[in-house]
Amino acid sequence: MSALKRKRGGRLPGVKKAKKAKHVAEGGESPADNQQEKKDEINVPPPPVSMGKWINKERVLIFSSRGINFRTRHLMQDLRNLMPHSKADTKMDRKDKLFVINEVCEIKNCNKCLFFEAKKKQDLYMWISNSPHGPSAKFLVQNIHTLAELKMTGNCLKGSRPLLSFDPTFDKEAHFALLKELFIQTFSTPRYHPKSQPFVDHIITFTIADNRIWFRNYQIIEEDAALVEIGPRFVLNLIKIFQGSFGGPTLYENTLFKSPNMHRRELRLAAAARVRERQMVKESLKEKRAQVKPEVISDVTDIVFDTPAPEKPVIIETEAPEPKEKKKSRKPFKRNRMQMRRR
Amino acid sequence: MVSVSETMELLEEDEMFSDESEDESSELSDNALQEAFAKGLLKPGMNLRVEKPKTFVNNVQGMKQCLSDLRKDLPWVERLDLTNPPVEDVLAKVGGGMQGANNGEVNADDDFQREMFFYRQAQASVLEALPLLSKHGIATKRPDDYFAEMAKSDQHMQKIRKMLISKQAIMEKSEKAKKLREQRKFGKKVQIEVIQKRQKEKKAMMSAVKNYQRGMTDKLDFLEGDQKAPGRDTSRSSKKTSMNKKGPNAKRKYKDQKFGFGGKKSGKKWNTKESHNDVSSFRAKVANAKGPKGKKKGKERKQNKRPGKSVRRKMKARS
Repeated sequence: MSALKRKRGGRLPGVKKAKKAKHVAEGGESPADNQQEKKDEINVPPPPVSMGKWINKERVLIFSSRGINFRTRHLMQDLRNLMPHSKADTKMDRKDKLFVINEVCEIKNCNKCLFFEAKKKQDLYMWISNSPHGPSAKFLVQNIHTLAELKMTGNCLKGSRPLLSFDPTFDKEAHFALLKELFIQTFSTPRYHPKSQPFVDHIITFTIADNRIWFRNYQIIEEDAALVEIGPRFVLNLIKIFQGSFGGPTLYENTLFKSPNMHRRELRLAAAARVRERQMVKESLKEKRAQVKPEVISDVTDIVFDTPAPEKPVIIETEAPEPKEKKKSRKPFKRNRMQMRRR
Repeated sequence: MVSVSETMELLEEDEMFSDESEDESSELSDNALQEAFAKGLLKPGMNLRVEKPKTFVNNVQGMKQCLSDLRKDLPWVERLDLTNPPVEDVLAKVGGGMQGANNGEVNADDDFQREMFFYRQAQASVLEALPLLSKHGIATKRPDDYFAEMAKSDQHMQKIRKMLISKQAIMEKSEKAKKLREQRKFGKKVQIEVIQKRQKEKKAMMSAVKNYQRGMTDKLDFLEGDQKAPGRDTSRSSKKTSMNKKGPNAKRKYKDQKFGFGGKKSGKKWNTKESHNDVSSFRAKVANAKGPKGKKKGKERKQNKRPGKSVRRKMKARS
């Protein structure tokens, strides 16, 4: 399919340069190719060196449902930007069932799919699936930061192949191992893909922390592993893994997953409980005060223990007392006080 | 309708019944309940819903099966994946290794630590991967003449650079402002000191001049008081001062006395008892002098004990 798209007479810029790089790598093939070039120069543009070497035919369909906000849209665009083996599609109506996505994938000839679903204009869910038969997983996406953020100062070639780095925790559990395989197949750019660049200049990390998967993308600057973040970055919270694509029996459920609705509900309940408790305390206090208190009977013989103070002579002052010397307030001015406090 | 005649204990209900009641309660119609009672599924008494304890699916076998189905036999070069723990954190080690327990686990709430963990994991991967890549002949550095489209546009990178520069500039400005404030405070202190010193000096000078005018001191040292410092060359200064003294001083003195301020100008000569008794202008040498030595005539050897008018005038002017 990509051969049909190729320009006649000219080459796609990325591919042209790729040929040069390939020459460096495979020296033996270049003389033969040069000869071929000279022969066919007039009629047919010679195919690039990497023709026929693209075996890993992986295509990812990235699209979303309706009702997404700008951040999600940018995230999607960024992922499409980073993955040259991706394809875009129009937004899907939410009234369609999810298995329709399988048909869309088939039409577009894709075998992986990343589907973003937004609910309530607040929560973003991501489906990742292997299209015809394979497993699929649903995640809740949080903490999205896109490529366009100014804090992410790195940059990489468009369509360059990434290195994928995983936590050792991914090998310990069965569900994580399955997810690892899915991620590898989805995110790694196939070698000799026509839109790819032959260099490896960025690395994508997947780490497990706090029972969530953290996604980061770094640019490799130096050979001694100096890195700068390119972005995007997000956090995936696994919900379920299904055996089929967008359906089928459940293989795994995340025990620690709390749906965002439940989370918000809990917060609201907590706030309500606090208010109610305060009210109850007030009421109980009122009741206590309104209670009829038992009279305290005082003992008549208690007077025995009273020791009155000795009588003081009565002094009548005819003249006003001298004014006391008012000490000038030694309080320093506000600015001085602030400085002293800071010190 | 189920008659509530006696209360039943929850435990007497079977799990199956609770399931059934759950299913039926989803419909919650009287007819359905009646039918269930007729069938014997519901016993008389209080029927309460019991929630089934939620069991989470964890089909390890199924997942392993899925994984084996999913796996593709591709060489590493196609996938470029690595699994490794992060690089050793040098700083944490130096700091006493207080996160000993957290070595494997990373605290997701501590932002800095978490991001450093990810960074180190990426670093470890890169260090491991570079020799492998070079073995397969894949370059990681692009040559300088290789121009290709980047993931972020040049415009965007310009914006980023501007932002970084502006941040730096702001920091520098704030540093400068702080320094300036400090300086100003210090400068103010110094200024006050200098003003006070000057005022003191002026006061001292004025008082010295006044003292001189009143005649309490006849030394004019205060005029050179500023110039004469303790460690100075005194010969040089004395020459200067002597020059100063001799120069305009006698004339000046007379003029000051006659036309200057302070003191009586006229009525200085009175024939009073004091002036009669005043013998300060008596010069014994002059009075008892025997005239110039030499062969002079006896007649001409007149003792000039009292000089003539012009000499007297000259003497007066000089004194």
